[in-house]
Amino acid sequence: MISEPIPTAQPARQMANRFDPYEDNGGTTMALAGEDFCIVAADTRQSDGYHINCRYAPKAHQLSDKTVIGTSGFYADGICLVKRIKQRMEWYYHQHDKVMSTPALAQLLSVMLYQKRFFPYYCFTILGGLDEEGKGCVFDYDSVGNVERVKYQAEGSGKELLQPFLDSQIGLKNRATDDVLDLTEEKAIKIVKDAFSSVTERDIHTGDCVEIYIIRKDGIECEKYPLKRD
Amino acid sequence: MEYNGGAVVAMVGKDCVAIASDKRFGLQLLTLATDFEKIYKMTDKCYIGLAGLATDVQTLSQELKLKVDLYKLREEREITPKKFAHLVSSTLYDHRWGPYFCEPCIAGLDSDNKPFICSTDLIGCINFAKDFVVCGTTARELYGICESFWEPDLGPEELFEVISQSLLNAFDRDSQSGWGAVVHIITPDKIITRHLKTRQD
Amino acid sequence: MFLTRSEYDRGVNTFSPEGRLFQVEYAIEAIKMGSTAIGIQTSEGVILAVEKRITSTLLEPSSIEKILEIDSHIGCAMSGLNADARTMIDHARVQAQNHTFVYDEPIKVESITQAVCDLALRFGEGAQGEESIMSRPFGVALLIAGCDENGPQLFHADPSGTFTKYQAKAIGSGSEGAQTELQENYHKSLTLKEAEVLSLKVLKQVMEEKVNSVNVQLCSVTPEKGYRLYTEEEVNEIISAI
Repeated sequence: MISEPIPTAQPARQMANRFDPYEDNGGTTMALAGEDFCIVAADTRQSDGYHINCRYAPKAHQLSDKTVIGTSGFYADGICLVKRIKQRMEWYYHQHDKVMSTPALAQLLSVMLYQKRFFPYYCFTILGGLDEEGKGCVFDYDSVGNVERVKYQAEGSGKELLQPFLDSQIGLKNRATDDVLDLTEEKAIKIVKDAFSSVTERDIHTGDCVEIYIIRKDGIECEKYPLKRD
Repeated sequence: MEYNGGAVVAMVGKDCVAIASDKRFGLQLLTLATDFEKIYKMTDKCYIGLAGLATDVQTLSQELKLKVDLYKLREEREITPKKFAHLVSSTLYDHRWGPYFCEPCIAGLDSDNKPFICSTDLIGCINFAKDFVVCGTTARELYGICESFWEPDLGPEELFEVISQSLLNAFDRDSQSGWGAVVHIITPDKIITRHLKTRQD
Repeated sequence: MFLTRSEYDRGVNTFSPEGRLFQVEYAIEAIKMGSTAIGIQTSEGVILAVEKRITSTLLEPSSIEKILEIDSHIGCAMSGLNADARTMIDHARVQAQNHTFVYDEPIKVESITQAVCDLALRFGEGAQGEESIMSRPFGVALLIAGCDENGPQLFHADPSGTFTKYQAKAIGSGSEGAQTELQENYHKSLTLKEAEVLSLKVLKQVMEEKVNSVNVQLCSVTPEKGYRLYTEEEVNEIISAI
């Protein structure tokens, strides 16, 4: 007698086996524009769920003497994007015999992100720098290239925690009096450090260290500020 | 929790506590009313803020008020905030498998006028905090800003300023809450209640 | 002389033993038969002026267009086979718009000139044997005038794909006489008004007909207003100032 194998129901785990090309490595970035300077800051923790992959994985990158970029989200997409931007800047430099300005870079980045509209870079980008007049400027992006020029912005896993604080301290929101913000560099750096210390306290994907890039007309400086490592 | 929206926060000060909420009542993204306060007085020195599904907020607040009043009749004394917190917790846990969709924040002064605050999740797991507690759709925003603004030993007026600024700036970044706010400061001799005018968007 | 030449002037991309590309040289010759075009750069802006050859009284003069806009800050005058210029200018316009789209800034005048010249040598088959897009070199020369961060500039692009920056340049049939004239009258402190007058003065000397508002075309490119083609009234005013 031939016993045929009894057909069993197809397992329903087909869905779970589908290739997922994205990961969320967390991380918080922020930028703020001053009158003649700009600050871009990003923490250096790289995590995957509850696991910390790396305590020093820089998310902010210097692109030129006037521009710094910060990415959060999927780390691999972030560094790939930065690499491609650097390549495009090199081409631009040779084609037009000048370094790409921050607003030009901002527009290019938007186009580059939108070009991958249906297979996006899974990263949330902030571009900070000085424009052609030497004024500080910040550009904020979503993953598919929507861009907005702002005064200050937080992005990444800690953005909800950070943004209201910036609204209050830099945007001077919900103040009855007509306070004028005289945002000096020292004050701005202090706000950034405070902000990151607070976010680190409550966001598990943020911590270890924050890299603060200060962009001035005579050059860029990078300051490292240690954060809690727990 | 995202059906009606809302934000509640409570903070400890020096010999005082503060509790504040927004006033929005909405259905998902539609705002229906802007006078829906989510904070309920339980005793003279103990308030509870409930964020979550509005129907459960009302039902639970009434059920808790009933239990607090019965406690007073039976025991002939006011319930302390800490005991009240456990009452809330066990009430919520009674519905472990079909919970009230609310997250409470409790703030009060105990019989020695020592400040007490706590929050619980929707099935009654208590979080005793020494600084501040938050709940509602604005929780993440509140956590971030309270972490920066709060400091120990704030007097009633300072505490009012800190809790108001924290709440206002936090719910301005949340589309599901805002539209006015109410703050209660509980001190040993009086309750200060202030209604805040905010941007209406 | 002509015999040796004819051996190598068939293929568009075959060098003669002396190292010359005859087809390209012929193309440059073609321009010398074209109408005269003049460009003058000043510190205030650039002037382009061209003559229109009204070969028949029945011809509608406004249908001859020899000065065209590439972008709001770049203009272009041509001499030679006008039809070829369309291809180049279409390409230049696309490049300019694309640059603005990608970089949110106006393209540099030199870059647009380079982009036009990149087209010039795309005749014959490609190095990898790709199909060619053009069968012969362009028979047109361009004067490209524009203003960017480096100020007002004037470029000359010829069929060989070479481009050169000029302070003042004349192309076309009357170019030799006109160039000498420009050389004598050009100075660095020229104003835009003076350049307008000078351009027409030079055109007048090399043109067979009498200059009037119908048989010349004039444009200016300035940092303030960008590319602007002059109306007949404006041209008349300048003529009266000669």
